Amino acid sequence: MNGRTQICRGRGFRFYARIYRKILVQDLKSKMSYRADFIISTFGMVLTNIVGFLSFYILFQNFSSINGWGYYEMLYLYGFSLIALTPLQCLFDNNWNLRFAVRSGDFIKYCFRPINVFFYFISEVFDVKGLGQLVFGVGVLAYAWSHLVIPVTVVTILQLILLLLTASLFMIAIMNAAAATCFWIINSGYVMVIMFRFKDYAKYPASIFDGFFKLLFTFVIPIAFIAYYPALVLLRPDEIPLLSRISPLIGILFFYLSYKFWMLGARKYEGTGS
Amino acid sequence: MKIRKYLALTKAGIIQELHFRLGTFVTIFGNLIYLILVYFLWKAIYASSPADTVNGMTFTDTIIYLVLATALFNFLEMFIVWDMSRSIQSGEIILDLLKPVNYRRYKFFSYFGDNVVTFFLTFLPTFVVVYLITHGAIRLGLNLLFFVVSVALALLVNFHIELLVATICLYTESTWGINIVKESIVLMLSGATIPLAFFPEKLRTVVEYMPFRCIYDTPLNILLEKDGYTMGTGVFTMLAIQVVWCVILVLASKAFWNFSVRRITVNGG
Repeated sequence: MNGRTQICRGRGFRFYARIYRKILVQDLKSKMSYRADFIISTFGMVLTNIVGFLSFYILFQNFSSINGWGYYEMLYLYGFSLIALTPLQCLFDNNWNLRFAVRSGDFIKYCFRPINVFFYFISEVFDVKGLGQLVFGVGVLAYAWSHLVIPVTVVTILQLILLLLTASLFMIAIMNAAAATCFWIINSGYVMVIMFRFKDYAKYPASIFDGFFKLLFTFVIPIAFIAYYPALVLLRPDEIPLLSRISPLIGILFFYLSYKFWMLGARKYEGTGS
Repeated sequence: MKIRKYLALTKAGIIQELHFRLGTFVTIFGNLIYLILVYFLWKAIYASSPADTVNGMTFTDTIIYLVLATALFNFLEMFIVWDMSRSIQSGEIILDLLKPVNYRRYKFFSYFGDNVVTFFLTFLPTFVVVYLITHGAIRLGLNLLFFVVSVALALLVNFHIELLVATICLYTESTWGINIVKESIVLMLSGATIPLAFFPEKLRTVVEYMPFRCIYDTPLNILLEKDGYTMGTGVFTMLAIQVVWCVILVLASKAFWNFSVRRITVNGG
């Protein structure tokens, strides 16, 4: 184990980028061979987004604002959360297969390669249909933005991109940790399913929570960081809370911790003996 | 049909489900947190609204509706399409098809074991908690009996929709896509995410002609004794609609399955 880690350490970003590209091409090739599945999946992705938007729309047909947040502000949060969830969908989708790989023993193959186990496992799947969500999210965000008084400048665009990138780290961290529970418990599918459902509430302002639950949804299951805190920077520039300012650091911390947790599980993995 | 043969399957399902106690425990705990999210969101929504009653639903009504919809979801959602599409893709389905039992019935009774367990472990506790928290906002009368009947019908409707969709997988070998399409349509149009009472008039009229409302909206409205769902105003019509959809879906899924299974090609072997 130690020797291997040392080999990896000598390899830089370019090495991993090249490997990633190679694995990606293989994955896309195998996906294209199941054409019907590919088309249905893409359609399904579009449909979930339409349905999600429809429920949002129905809600605002009945209630004109939520906790002082108007229609376009909520729409902004909604678009923001969709984009922030795209990297999880596209790049980290293989976490859903982790428990099957671990239980069947297939996971051992990832341990025998001279590259980072987490990197190798995660890079094996690139979920193309997640890009549909990205397009939808960008559309919603742009539409909301055009109805709000946020200036469109190079600075705000750059800020937005930075904020979106950091926001995406939080849900990735949650799902990494949820997936890694399979190294310890059987039937960890439940943990993932439940954690994944929380993302649906990322699009609502975290100001609706109070007391203990505000802390819970900020620091334990950090869904408040997926849209609310980062989005405040541009939405309410006069009163940006500290948590919004340091959200990039917190995002990196969460991601790092989830990575460590994942690797801890991978390191104790002993295979199934077959 | 020898009922004992099938009850054995149900028993096996119960034992299997109880074996994964940790999973059940995690589900209950996770649901609790999820319900807290639902509670906070709707509390904020109603607090921002000038009226106490929106579309005939008070805050308490909405919370009971949505909390029990989540509990019903856990009770009804058996991930049948997931399981079947996986076994179709891997070819494992052939082992079940070779068994000297009716495949659809075999599946139903195996999953029924899960239903029994989740009913007692998740639905019933949730119901009691909701009842206590809302200080008895749910009336415990004849509506409870109608509710149980309605949930039983909902179970059948849901199972046959699942089976119908799973059969499509025989042709497409798609798992994720088919599942996500089914899930988003069913959860939206059945009222599981937002009560159908909040839907705009035109959309609601269309949705009311579809079978999905039988799964969540009908039982929950019966329980809450909403207008049109009580003894005096047409609970029997609502139950009759559920029965009709049951029959239609049973026949449709049976016909589609029998037609499709003859042309099945199984991978590997």
